[in-house]
Amino acid sequence: MRRALLAITGLAAGTTALVVLKGSPGTSPVAQELPVAPAPVVPAPAGPTPTGGEVSAAPSPTRTSASPRPGRTVTRAPSSGPSATTRAPSAPRTTRKPPPASTTRTVTGPVVENEYGNVQVQITLRGMRIVDVVALELPEETAQSDQRSEQVDGRYSGSSGLVVQRQSADVDTVSGATATSTSYKRSLQAAIDRAN
Amino acid sequence: MPPRRGPGGRRLLAALLAVGLLASVLPWWLDTPPGSLRTTAATLTAAGRITGLIAGYLLLVQVLMMSRLPVLERWAGGERIARWHRDVGATLLVAVLAHASLILVGYADLEDNPVLTEAGVLLRDHEDMVSAFAAAGILVLVGLTSVRAIRTALPYELWHALHLSSYAVLLLGFAHQFSNGAQLFRPGPVRTGWIAMYALVLAALLWGRVVAPLAFNLRHRLRVADVVAESPDTISIYLTGERLERLELLGGQFFRWRFLARGCWWQSHPFSVSAAANGRWLRLTVKVVGAHTADLRDLEPGTRVWAEGPSGTFTAAHRTRERALLIAGGSGITPIRAMLEELPPGAALIYRARTPADVLLHRELDWLAEARDTAIWYVVGSRHDPGPRQVMSPDGLRRLVPDVARRDVYLCGPPGLVEQSLRVLREAGVPRRQIHLATFEL
Ligand SMILES: Cc1cc2nc3c(=O)[nH]c(=O)nc-3n(C[C@H](O)[C@H](O)[C@H](O)COP(=O)(O)OP(=O)(O)OC[C@H]3O[C@@H](n4cnc5c(N)ncnc54)[C@H](O)[C@@H]3O)c2cc1C
Repeated sequence: MRRALLAITGLAAGTTALVVLKGSPGTSPVAQELPVAPAPVVPAPAGPTPTGGEVSAAPSPTRTSASPRPGRTVTRAPSSGPSATTRAPSAPRTTRKPPPASTTRTVTGPVVENEYGNVQVQITLRGMRIVDVVALELPEETAQSDQRSEQVDGRYSGSSGLVVQRQSADVDTVSGATATSTSYKRSLQAAIDRAN
Repeated sequence: MPPRRGPGGRRLLAALLAVGLLASVLPWWLDTPPGSLRTTAATLTAAGRITGLIAGYLLLVQVLMMSRLPVLERWAGGERIARWHRDVGATLLVAVLAHASLILVGYADLEDNPVLTEAGVLLRDHEDMVSAFAAAGILVLVGLTSVRAIRTALPYELWHALHLSSYAVLLLGFAHQFSNGAQLFRPGPVRTGWIAMYALVLAALLWGRVVAPLAFNLRHRLRVADVVAESPDTISIYLTGERLERLELLGGQFFRWRFLARGCWWQSHPFSVSAAANGRWLRLTVKVVGAHTADLRDLEPGTRVWAEGPSGTFTAAHRTRERALLIAGGSGITPIRAMLEELPPGAALIYRARTPADVLLHRELDWLAEARDTAIWYVVGSRHDPGPRQVMSPDGLRRLVPDVARRDVYLCGPPGLVEQSLRVLREAGVPRRQIHLATFEL
């Protein structure tokens, strides 16, 4: 009986310690592992890659995971604030002339946080036409949010997805996945704005 | 005299189980970036995940410990494993309750729902949660009925049947870990490893509960040879079988016996072997205390016996010193009688009994005292009588056995005697690791 009480106390103390260790940034050596490959700036298949005027690629703050989907980063629920916020992009990198109408270019939207994780969208344009949409980051920390992300991704993304069909960010919200849809549309809208 | 078995195996087992515990929380640690738990919801959910992983692991440990895998019996012994099982069980119950409530409150906070609404959402929208809640419910029931006061109030068979429903917990709780577990829903090494742990435990269960007993009983084919009365309420059952000279049995160990006679075959009860292995017969000495032990008086010679064991570390091989003091109460003499044959000469035995009729195996004890240079004191009477009171005190003990603090002490008897002796022994300066207990309780 005494040992059981000891074990239960250990369980409580251990769990608390783990949560506290992970909760405070920088106290554990693991905190240093963060810097990861720079954000993906996808080269266009043809010609130079002009990136829109003030557009910059937001470096992804999360580490790349072994996620089966290529080109996507696992995101964790954000640490602060329950409301959706747009993370300020880091310093702009290059400023180029507006692109000629016939080349393909990619524009990356900002990282948009919601309570389930981060969303970041990248669009590919030929001239002014959106030809492809890729979600670089979607919340997939839990099985639930992963499922929702997959629904949103399936509906919106791709060269024949809803966004390419509509040519705008004004698409129906995926029911049951409101938060992720909304964040997706915000990042998308910002990317479209940047492209213009 | 059989070679000694040190505490190495037990320590190795404990270390392995501890490493397993760390390994089961590790995926969470690696998956969670530092500084990421700044909201209440995230913190609660994280604690829920940790306790969930721990609960999942402990459940497997619980089943593993009940697998009766021969190596576990050898390393730690059936009675010690039963004690661990009880302590881990209490911890598991708390871990499961913590897991369920932390996840519930964490999700409710995240989605801004009242807790009850969130419980509905969990059950409705998340896969496999109905069975997971059922598993938790069963576990609570099993846990509560194992609280000592409640357990002793229930008939043993009912309690045992209830306890067997823990296997349903294993089954019902399985799926939700993989459909919803943050560390387990993604295919990958963690998920594969977790499933492999389940497979390993099932294999251990199959081996310990089916294959090993089958091999043992096919090899030895035990049968009742004779039933003799030792006292008005105690009998000895003699068994014979095949290849008994190859039986690896230490004096003081016990088997779980199933007598394949009408009315008896469906129950298996633990009894110690009351004589050391001799290659020709086995003997158990049984005090009639209830329905099953009463039925054993009527066993016919020739009755087949199904045995599972041997089990237990209450043996001469597990001693830490050269000399031993044995303290027996009533029918607690059975394992000690068997062990006497395997202890080095110079042992001392204090045999407590309420009345002279309660002294069992008197003749052979006297004979062993002579043959193996063992001092025996029969201390007869109620524990409030002056004689027993005097012996069972630190001074009394030291007077009988001056070097008691440098001996191993083997204690077997009713709970009252065991408790009292433990206290007295500690006062007399016997270190805890030199005290070996058999409580006739699993
Ligand atoms: C390791 C060990 C060694 C034992 N060695 C001996 C021995 O050598 N001689 C002897 O007389 N007794 C021994 N016992 C005690 C014996 O097992 C019980 O007295 C017997 O099972 C009682 O069964 P019953 O139906 O007659 O009595 P009940 O009235 O049904 O039970 C009395 C008590 O015995 C325990 N018990 C009952 N059934 C079981 C079971 N299937 N498994 C475990 N515990 C049970 C319960 O605590 C119960 O409260 C030993 C017990 C253990 C655990």
